[in-house]
Amino acid sequence: MDNIGVLLQIIFWGLYAGCIYILLATGLNLIFGVMKVVNFAHGEFLMIGAYITFTIFILTGFNPYLILVLSMLALIGIGAVIERLCFRPILGTGKLNEIFLSIGLIYIIQNGAAMIWGDAWQSVKSPYAGITVQIGSLDVPFDYILIMVFTAAILCGLYLFLKKTTIGMQMRASSQNRKGAMLVGIDVERIDIISFGLGCALAAAAGTLWVVSGQVFNPYMGSIPAVKAFAIIILGGLGSIPGAIIGGLLMGLAENGAAYFLGGIWKDAISFVILIIVLVVKPTGLFGEKGE
Amino acid sequence: MLAAAFVIPVLTDSMFIINLMVLMLIFIIFASAWNLLAFSGQGSLGHAAFFGIGAYGSTLIAAKSSISPLVTIFLGAAVAALIGILIGLTCVRLKEWFLAMVTFGFAIIVQTLTVSVLAPVTGGWDGIASARLISPTIPSYQLIEYYAVLAITIGSIVALWYIMKSKVGLAFLAIRENELEARAAGIDPVRYRLLAFAISAYIAGVAGALQIHHIGYLTPEIYGVENSFWPITYVILGGLGTLAGPVVGTVVLTIIWEGLKATGMTFGRYVIIGVILILAIIFLPKGLVSLPEQVQEWRKRFRKKEPLQEPAVK
Repeated sequence: MDNIGVLLQIIFWGLYAGCIYILLATGLNLIFGVMKVVNFAHGEFLMIGAYITFTIFILTGFNPYLILVLSMLALIGIGAVIERLCFRPILGTGKLNEIFLSIGLIYIIQNGAAMIWGDAWQSVKSPYAGITVQIGSLDVPFDYILIMVFTAAILCGLYLFLKKTTIGMQMRASSQNRKGAMLVGIDVERIDIISFGLGCALAAAAGTLWVVSGQVFNPYMGSIPAVKAFAIIILGGLGSIPGAIIGGLLMGLAENGAAYFLGGIWKDAISFVILIIVLVVKPTGLFGEKGE
Repeated sequence: MLAAAFVIPVLTDSMFIINLMVLMLIFIIFASAWNLLAFSGQGSLGHAAFFGIGAYGSTLIAAKSSISPLVTIFLGAAVAALIGILIGLTCVRLKEWFLAMVTFGFAIIVQTLTVSVLAPVTGGWDGIASARLISPTIPSYQLIEYYAVLAITIGSIVALWYIMKSKVGLAFLAIRENELEARAAGIDPVRYRLLAFAISAYIAGVAGALQIHHIGYLTPEIYGVENSFWPITYVILGGLGTLAGPVVGTVVLTIIWEGLKATGMTFGRYVIIGVILILAIIFLPKGLVSLPEQVQEWRKRFRKKEPLQEPAVK
């Protein structure tokens, strides 16, 4: 029971949890940046991603890390449909409406999933379960390292996509100035669909990584990670992807620290305590800009 | 509708229907409380916190002092209002999404406190017994209870009607529509928002206390997301910001909900409620209350199209 070992363990667990939050928060931010919509049902896409991976894994027995790609592709489609049917008609009718619409989506997706897959807790066994790697005095599950590598790879891919491709540049243009983007001939509605789909795909990646790390899941598991991701983007600044990455890591660390020092029951509440303290001091968030 | 509320319990012997109507009335109060806060432009996602605090407040006061629950519901609600002011202080300066997040998180924090630090008093996850509103030793106590709840419901709605019509209500509206202009007109947005929080938390607390004294047992589940989302669903379907909206929404959705339950659906019910909610937001943004006007609007549009096809007939 050396203190440094415990501290290292908290940091490592925090980094791992942070990876899931980063993917969720980056997806939310991508959607917010382009559409100025906050989707409270974002965690439901994480859950769907987890179940799609689970289903393909049961059916084919492929390596779950490979299924990650399929799951992301499926969620691009689902996200695009939901954007077109639900969010497009109410864009610009007020922010409260978006919040209420998300609540409707939460009802539908959670219970729809429960109808398809049942509401029991499920889990997937990673092919690398049980393999650990020695880092210093700490035995680290090999899966956790893979998860961090995958998160980093997805984020690099996203960065390149946004910087180098035409669609990526169009997305950045729409997020900087929607009217300006329209004027230069960008089809912003198409960009909306693509951003929403990509955001959902990132959530699916988070869900798949959640599953392969051996965590259990059920149709109602998405809400709490999603609201935490939302707290993260408030802390890190709405629309700022670097803010989401830093915020996600900090949140993972804070949570695991709190679970160790205050008891596991505080794991969920601590993120909101931090959020409220930050918002009392600075109502626009840590790195948020003034106004809208 | 009011007449039906008075007469139905006398006509029926079924305890099931009376029980259902008591819960429906309680949720009318709760939805109306949420509606007032939304009326002032603040959409809370964590109203279960005030619902639960009212319930715990009233139960604990009743247990420690042996005052009748008929009195303690108002004391418990005062606790909810006090805490409502506290959380309101953090919320009044926040934008919609931030406020939604803080209120949502607040319900989780309160639940965590209830089962950790406050567990010796609240019984933790196991919960505690709560005194019945009307002692079950009195003959036909269910009917008395029903009429007591009905009286409190009518009282709350009249009070809300008075608030919404008064200068305070106008100030809420002004802030919701344009905060800058409201300020220019000499309205202090922070003070009025806090007031809306306090009133809304108080009434939600009354509703929570009523529900728990009706059921007779209280667990931390009361802070769950379900209890935060139901009033929102009722109000959106009925008509946001109107007095009749929460009443209509609660009654209609309760009937649909119980009807679906009778067909043996479990998860499907929630899916249908979600679809109804989304359809209402897209096609009926002012809720069922505006349905008569909307139908006329649709008819007009339909008629406009007709003459194009046969312009000769007139």
